[in-house]
Amino acid sequence: MTLSTRRSFLGAGLAAGMAGFGPGMRIANATPPLSQAPQAVPGSGGIAVVMNSADASISIVDMASHRPMRVVPVLREPHHWTLSPDGSELWVGDAGGNALFALDPTTGTPLGHRLLADPYQLWVSPDGSRLTVNALRLDHVDVYDAGTLKLIRRFHVASMPSHLTYAPDSSMVYSTLQGNDSVVAIDLTQNAIAWHVRVGPVPAGIIWHRDRLLVALMNGDGVAVVDPTDGSVTGHIRTGKGCHIIQVSPDRRLIFVGNRVAGTLDALDGNTLRPLARYTLTGGPDCIAFAPDGKLWISRRWRDSLAVLDPQSGAFEVIPVGRSPHGVFLSPMLKLLADEGRAGLGFASV
Amino acid sequence: MIDPFMALAGRLQGEIVIPVLYRLGWMQWEDVGLGWSLFAVYGFFQVIVTWAVCMPLEAWRPVERWPNRRVVTTDMIYTLIARVGLLPLVTFVGFYQVQVWVNGFLVDHGWIPPDLELLIPPLLGHPVITFFLYAVILDFADYWRHRLSHIIPAWYSLHALHHAQRQMTFWSDDRNHLLDDLISALWFGFIALLIGISPFQFPLLVLLLRFVESLSHANTRVSFGWLGERLVISPRFHRAHHGVLAAGQRSCNYGAVLPWWDMLFGTADFSRDFVPTGDPDAGEALASGSYFAQQSAGLRSFCEVLTRARAEPADSSRAGIPG
Repeated sequence: MTLSTRRSFLGAGLAAGMAGFGPGMRIANATPPLSQAPQAVPGSGGIAVVMNSADASISIVDMASHRPMRVVPVLREPHHWTLSPDGSELWVGDAGGNALFALDPTTGTPLGHRLLADPYQLWVSPDGSRLTVNALRLDHVDVYDAGTLKLIRRFHVASMPSHLTYAPDSSMVYSTLQGNDSVVAIDLTQNAIAWHVRVGPVPAGIIWHRDRLLVALMNGDGVAVVDPTDGSVTGHIRTGKGCHIIQVSPDRRLIFVGNRVAGTLDALDGNTLRPLARYTLTGGPDCIAFAPDGKLWISRRWRDSLAVLDPQSGAFEVIPVGRSPHGVFLSPMLKLLADEGRAGLGFASV
Repeated sequence: MIDPFMALAGRLQGEIVIPVLYRLGWMQWEDVGLGWSLFAVYGFFQVIVTWAVCMPLEAWRPVERWPNRRVVTTDMIYTLIARVGLLPLVTFVGFYQVQVWVNGFLVDHGWIPPDLELLIPPLLGHPVITFFLYAVILDFADYWRHRLSHIIPAWYSLHALHHAQRQMTFWSDDRNHLLDDLISALWFGFIALLIGISPFQFPLLVLLLRFVESLSHANTRVSFGWLGERLVISPRFHRAHHGVLAAGQRSCNYGAVLPWWDMLFGTADFSRDFVPTGDPDAGEALASGSYFAQQSAGLRSFCEVLTRARAEPADSSRAGIPG
């Protein structure tokens, strides 16, 4: 384990847009770039579960000591996770292995696995009734009954369905389609495609945020703001090149955006969507999980490690894990699920 | 512990592949890009290690000495194209959509390719054993692919490029016609649909198997002894397959890594001792032409065989019409 004390920085260009931001915010390397960390969640300890996509394994890390505890083998290529409707199981999609693995979310103990076609990105709906699976390699979006895992309907969509989010009332699911620059909206009450609209170059991360969809454009330099009723693009927030992931802090005050090409992570104001801070985080920053102490646990795809970032100081600690780590789950997130439902997990914001 | 290969691949990905993909507007392939970066790093390492081991062996106990090694240089080009990733990359891109359609069609009809660990659950958690099981199955599949490539005339007209080399060295392993490589990719794609994808989390083991294949082509008087040759294919054993008397349909010793399939199906010949290599029926262009001349001659030969095959049944049917 190595401790990095690299400071985050605010670029000069960003500085111009900082006027009027939080009190005490100053633009200097010696000053913490972010005046407000995500609100701490009560609780301590727990485990981090990290999906090593190029290693066919899952690393279990002790959150208190930051030490890797053990490795759980899977079949080929684990990418993302979701919690079962009752929160008793952590489901990990093994896309290359065509399998869904279940783990105990508090201990990381494997509970079994079953055949499932290409589960790349997967998420259970806010009401717990549906499991939507994006099959990136097979160009389809599958909607399952989350209780029985019985396939309800398969939607053939071109192409490369990547990330997904739901409307808070679980009536709609939205998937980004990396292969043709669009987002597809599926009406879960009708089991039909509601719209399929181009939103910008290579969309990846997507979240519902206060009656809008925020879509990260990986071949662009920021986030498209999309009207969830018809897919029209109503705005654009510039962050950095290769904008890939968007996640909302549990308190909804901050939105974090990872920029793959720029090697940066941007913090946006949850109310205004204006940029607040920028962190340098090379190595392909990807999925983000929020720890009870307000730190961000971020997978670094090309550095085989996690970065545990203190958003106030900008310093981050590096924890080595397996090859190409992707999805990150922190067991204290179970409390968020219990208290606030799935919206508290960082993938949507009501 | 830091994996030096992954560290290098990560650098390659972050500093070259990603910026290029971004500039070209191809960021949807960025995830795949890391896999290719890793493939290229391992491939480069593999070429270096193979060279470092085989070169001294060829210098120490050569089967043949040649005053002019120009044709060997062409084989080096084949190796670099295949091992450092260019050829697999082209195959991947060219057939990406086909595999999406085929896999999607099968999944729609209820066939999700299972992995060995799903068929044999105790294997989960024992990836090294699983890897070796996959290696045995794929080697078996490769035996039959190779044997069929000698039995089917049109296929052999392509594969003859591999056999035409009279100056066989460890560089000759990847000396193949592009269409022959394509057929191989389809062959193993089909196998993957049946038994899933082999575990690539052990790239060093994959490299070890490829090393055995390269070594088996080396121009060196190396044998593994009576028992060793029955466990793993040696340069002596595989050289018999490349012998001038074994070209085309009269061949033997088709295995790539394991000689077991030749022993099982009666095609093993352990008696031949460091024979001269080449295919006397292959044209000179296939033997000593440039890379493009070899590819072009192989394609011409393939078309001629196909044309002849189409004409012959027509002639016989005419001959059969009563008077």
